[in-house]
Parts: sequence; structure tokens; C-alpha cells
Amino acid sequence: MKQFLILFSLITLVGCTTTAVPVAVKFPDAPDQLKIQCPDLKLVDEKTLRLSDVLDSVTTNYTTYYECKGKIDDWIEWYNLQKSIYDKLK
Amino acid sequence: MWFLSFIPDSFLHFIILTILVSGVGLYILGLLTNFIPVIYPFKEPIRIVSTILIVAGVYFLGGYNTEMDWRKKVEEAEAKVAAAEAKSAEVNTKIKTKIITRTKVVHDRQIVIKRELKEVEKRINEECRLDPVVTKIHNDAAINPMSIAK
Repeated sequence: MKQFLILFSLITLVGCTTTAVPVAVKFPDAPDQLKIQCPDLKLVDEKTLRLSDVLDSVTTNYTTYYECKGKIDDWIEWYNLQKSIYDKLK
Repeated sequence: MWFLSFIPDSFLHFIILTILVSGVGLYILGLLTNFIPVIYPFKEPIRIVSTILIVAGVYFLGGYNTEMDWRKKVEEAEAKVAAAEAKSAEVNTKIKTKIITRTKVVHDRQIVIKRELKEVEKRINEECRLDPVVTKIHNDAAINPMSIAK
């Protein structure tokens, strides 16, 4: 009888078996604008001797830099904000 | 215990309690067999059946409670995930707005500078003639070093 009781107790404990919570957390999607790669810098026509052409290229390249810097800053901000949101889920 | 999810909760709970209460009832009846001569011959079967019913009842009750706990946890987790996704979408909207504003500011600034350059273009080109090496140095600096390294 004692052996039966031990066996039945073990069986009853199996009823309390647990599994992982079946809730899938989707990886957050970043804004499409951030997924575009930064362009290469503009080159000047090597035959030109005009300072204005060089300045034009420099201006364009500065613009490219600030756009790209902004993108990196936005990625950092996006990551930090998303991380803080999803860290609270744990 | 996955199959429990297909049976209505209240019905399941009722069945489990019925099994457990029947087991306990039978067990008590088994203890009283000495005082009721009619059922004395069934003393052993009653004890065995009552034990099986109690064990089965406890087993299913444990399983039921665990199942209910997990369902509650899943609901809580789903609510949390939904809230996080809503917040995440809010962050994306905020950043998208920021990108649009920034792009406009940067481009507007470029337009202003280029307009300024256009105004003085003639003057600076007259006063300064570039050495061809200037454009070469400019282009060398502008080329991505990683593309050269490949």
C-alpha cells in the first residue's frame, strides 16, 4: 500500500508540470528611412579648376555627413528607447 | 495537460471536484464499513477505488490549477507585449517625424549655402584658379577608405 501511495504521489506531481509561456515577442521594426544606407561622398571632376565646383562638392558632402550623422543618432535613440521598452517585459 | 484547453473551464472544474469529492466520500464510507455490515464485503474494493479517485482528483486539480495559472500568466504576458508594441510604434512615429524634420532642415540649409555660392561663384573663380592637385586631394579624401582597402 505504501509503495502505491508513493507511486500515486509521484503521478499527482506530474500534473503540476510547467512549460514556458507561449508568448512570442516580435522584434520591433525600425523606421524605413533608417534602413537606407548612407551614400558615398561626392567627387569633383578632376579636370575642373574652378573653386566653386570644389566648394559645391564640399557643401554636398557636408549635407551628406549631417544626414548620415542624424541617421546614426536616430538609430542610437531608437535602440535605447526600444531597449528600455522591451527590458520592462522581463 | 494541453488537452484541458479544449474543455470549458467550469465543466472541467466541476468534473475534477466530483472525482475528488467522490473519492473522499468513498474513503469515509470505507472507514465506516465495520459499522455497516451490508457493505463490509466491499471494504477493500471501496478503499482501492477511493484511493484511485482521490489520487486522480488531486492530479487533475493540480493540473487544472497549473493550467489556469499559466493561462493567467499568458494573458498578462500578452497584455504586456501589446503595450510594449504600442509604445514601440509610438517611438517609431516620433523618430520618423524627427527624421522628416531633420532632412528638411539639412536640405534647406544646403539650398541656402548653394545659393550663396552661386552668388559669389563668378568672383571666386576669377580670383582663384585651382591647382589640379586640389581636386585630386579632395577626391582622395572623399573616397571611402574601405573601398580602397578591398
